[in-house]
Amino acid sequence: MQPKPDNLDPVAGPKTLILGGHDFHSITEVVSGVLERPAPLGWWAVFGTALLALGGLGIGVPWLVWEGIGVWGLNVPVGWAWDITNFVFWVGIGHAGTLISAILLLFRQKWRTSINRAAEAMTLFAVACALTYPGIHVGRIWVAYWMAPLPNQMGVWPNFRSPLLWDVFAVSIYGTVSLLFWYVGLVPDLATERDRAKTKLKQWIYGALALGWRGSQRHWQHYEVAYLILAGLSTPLVLSVHSIVSMDFAVSQLPGWHTTIFPPYFVAGAIFSGFAMVITLMVICRKAFGLEQIITMRHFDYMAKIILVTGWMVGYAYSLEFFVAWYSGNPYELFVFINRATGEYAWAYWTMVSCNVLVPQLFWFKKVRQNLAALFVISIFVNIGMWFERFVIIVTSLHRDFLPSSWDYFRPTMWDVACLVGGFGLFFTLFCLFVRFVPMVAAAEVKTVLPQADPHHGSAAPPAQAPALPPVPAGARSGLIAEFASPAVLYRACESVRDAGYKHWDAHTPFPVHGLERAMGLQRSKLPWIVFVLAMGGALAGFLLQTWVHSFEYPTVISGKPLFAWPAYIPVTFELAVLGGALGAVLGMFALNRLPRHHHPVFGSRGFERASDDRFFISIEALDERFDPTATPELLRRCGAARLEWLTA
Amino acid sequence: MSHETASAPGVQLVPAGHRVTRLPFVGIGLATIGAAQLVIFGARHAERLYAAWLVAFVFFLTIALGCLYFVLIHTAMQGSWGIVVRRVAENAAATLPLFAILFLPVAFGLHSLYHWSHPEAVAHDALLRFKQPYLNLPFFYARAALYFAVWSAIALWFRRQSRLQDENRDAAAAARLSRYSGALLIPLAITTTFAAFDWLMSLAPHWYSTIFGVYVFAGGLVSGFAFVSIAAVALRRAGLLPALSSEHLHDLGKLLFAFTVFWAYIAFSQFFLIWYGNIPEETIWYRVRLAGGWKLVTIALAVGHFALPFFFLMPRAIKRNATTLVVAAVWLLAMHFVDVYWLVMPSLEGLGVQPGIMDVAALLTVGGAFLAGFGWLLVKSPLVPAGDPRLSESLAFENV
Repeated sequence: MQPKPDNLDPVAGPKTLILGGHDFHSITEVVSGVLERPAPLGWWAVFGTALLALGGLGIGVPWLVWEGIGVWGLNVPVGWAWDITNFVFWVGIGHAGTLISAILLLFRQKWRTSINRAAEAMTLFAVACALTYPGIHVGRIWVAYWMAPLPNQMGVWPNFRSPLLWDVFAVSIYGTVSLLFWYVGLVPDLATERDRAKTKLKQWIYGALALGWRGSQRHWQHYEVAYLILAGLSTPLVLSVHSIVSMDFAVSQLPGWHTTIFPPYFVAGAIFSGFAMVITLMVICRKAFGLEQIITMRHFDYMAKIILVTGWMVGYAYSLEFFVAWYSGNPYELFVFINRATGEYAWAYWTMVSCNVLVPQLFWFKKVRQNLAALFVISIFVNIGMWFERFVIIVTSLHRDFLPSSWDYFRPTMWDVACLVGGFGLFFTLFCLFVRFVPMVAAAEVKTVLPQADPHHGSAAPPAQAPALPPVPAGARSGLIAEFASPAVLYRACESVRDAGYKHWDAHTPFPVHGLERAMGLQRSKLPWIVFVLAMGGALAGFLLQTWVHSFEYPTVISGKPLFAWPAYIPVTFELAVLGGALGAVLGMFALNRLPRHHHPVFGSRGFERASDDRFFISIEALDERFDPTATPELLRRCGAARLEWLTA
Repeated sequence: MSHETASAPGVQLVPAGHRVTRLPFVGIGLATIGAAQLVIFGARHAERLYAAWLVAFVFFLTIALGCLYFVLIHTAMQGSWGIVVRRVAENAAATLPLFAILFLPVAFGLHSLYHWSHPEAVAHDALLRFKQPYLNLPFFYARAALYFAVWSAIALWFRRQSRLQDENRDAAAAARLSRYSGALLIPLAITTTFAAFDWLMSLAPHWYSTIFGVYVFAGGLVSGFAFVSIAAVALRRAGLLPALSSEHLHDLGKLLFAFTVFWAYIAFSQFFLIWYGNIPEETIWYRVRLAGGWKLVTIALAVGHFALPFFFLMPRAIKRNATTLVVAAVWLLAMHFVDVYWLVMPSLEGLGVQPGIMDVAALLTVGGAFLAGFGWLLVKSPLVPAGDPRLSESLAFENV
């Protein structure tokens, strides 16, 4: 089908992001269908394999705890190897999810809607994989609580000036905020699953999780603000997380670790590897679950370009490190880099360079970006390359100590391999469960990018045949609800109801209709103020806690710094500001919306379950002073209601 | 389609006799006054003169480069909202060839600026001898020539394509521009990094920082957005850019905000890692900047280049109001000047915090020349890229 000229963007091509002439209902069908059909055989195969792999952690971790970290191939001077490599690798994988959900939202890249849900889920599972390591990597999980900001039984506080503690804050807050972001995005889709549920159990579970979401436009308004704020908070958060991870290395004085480019370089690398993982997963999922029209080649094209860009950033950092190692005139710096490229680990270094810098150059060619097999293979190369990047940075800098007598070579043991494989097992197990039980495409968001979602699309004329007025019920009535067929008709109807002077009324839509808050005459949301206050509160609390601990409660001089070493408090202060803001955005949004509220008169309406699918409603409450049993239905009828119904509950 | 865009509001040339047409003369006037002052006061203080010149040169150069980054990034990302201000940025970026001439005083005053350019200093300094393959005069000049060639080529090529499109309304050119813009960012990023190393980092020739190039172009991006905001609002006030709406200002404001934060992130990363690592050969750079009067400048920079604009630019209303946005933009430009001053001056021995007539004179001269070039380009073409097929989309743009 040739796209019409007004639907053709001169730069990006056809404006239609979703192929196949989908409407709102067919999107719901495609997305929910994945959960309602029995799992394909391939799913069982992947799930089984993933569970088997998870056994690596299941056996490896208990053995590690029992025997100690000697079971890994660590030695002197390589006291840190695959554990931290895996940790950094998994945190990095997570970053693409946040990038897609947050940064692309801020940049108004609408194509993100098809893949953001799965990418965010990937973030959560990757963070879960990463978070196993702070707990187990010293082999003594019974002292894991030392990571918490609490004094131990001897009154010793954790060291807030250590990047390892910042890691704990950064990654756990990153996980929390990602979960909140993901959940907020999920609520409307969970409502869809609730309304489609065939069994009581499903209805109950999805219903409980959907918090009584009824697609109210008043809710959507706060919801959209909350979503935007979460995106605004997640963007600096994601930058900070991998920056802080990079500081595990960069605050030290070790050649190859201590270099100022590390924070942005790690962030770029994280996005690079994360997008590769999204491609890996999406190539499989769209095929397995028939999502070809929602996750299109256009999506892959954009992701391939992002990989190309971030690949160049990583390449820029590799080259710059090399140049400055020479330019510094510091023989140790230069030695480390020459050793990386030509020493015992040269094979790892050149694997890294080939996978991360050379292979992605294939993405310059449109043919490659449009070829699923090529995308899949290249994404695997990038994943391998990025794992090796962390390995190279960590192990090559360690294995050549300042004392040549302690030089050694790291060899992994089977327990290193078990933990690596187990990590992948955990990741894919969780991902398999996700695609079975949670809508893996943000259906409500995808609907907003369909052309007919625009309230100025198509005719706003009322249907040819006006609906019959229902008889006024004899008993108590709480209001009137009217059903509309399209956003365009609803939009005009809202304007009419607003102009008629009603106050206690609402619109219910399966997705936020652009500009409807104006058509309804709503005030701007107050949510930003709540977020601001809580973010500042989080920052203040974080800074004061650290100051109090290190200046008063447990004063200790660390690495020659003054007791009040405030720059070292910035990372945790920042993380707590983000945590406060994110909690404020989510809890504030639900509070402003008076949710959860599982019982509401509109749920009593027949056919209201389509408010989370493809129908649009206006409800007017009987307590409105302009409400009139004859004039009000007549108004809605004139506005183009397809159906009218009294609410009695 | 093309008829639509042709008749769209805002697609116009500066009318003959409009006061904006006098901009080149104002620029030349300012440059002349500045140059005269430099000759009068600078004759006896050559060292001070060259330092002031380097600051002014880098200040305006980074603005022009920031505009070039903006144009390329916006085009590569297939953005449409900013097309309405793109020509302003294109014009500012197209002044880059002029900077090759403005660089001459730096090249001429090399010996008073760059310690490594003295053979006797190199002879007694093992580190400088080691670095000689990079830090030597012929290579330094050759690199500078290369940077200007690359920048001029990119800026002029883009403006030429955009101008051609004004005439032939070739919609396909938009897709082509988008493709090349992405690729051209690579040489641009590499050259700006090394220019920052050559002209600023090597002022303290023993010192090194891998993030330094990113730091300099982060500041350049902030000032580029600030300049575009100011120029666009000024043109609208002059009745020449009626298409500029508060929606466009809102986005410019968001970018100013975002890149202010990005600058702070990069600045903090550099400071923090050096502070924490505490290796003398690195900390020395901050040590001079945290001693005496420079400490105040450093604090002023943290507060003025980050904290104040961060809170000021946060509310939506501030970004959508032309006056408040321009206040923020002017402030950030001033802070960018402080930033460049702070990068250059403490590295030059014996120059404390003594802003003086020479700094003003250098600013007037370089700024006047930049303004003259910008004004000259401004009147030569429509004030918006009239031929861009998505101009109407940009004009109708609304923040969601």
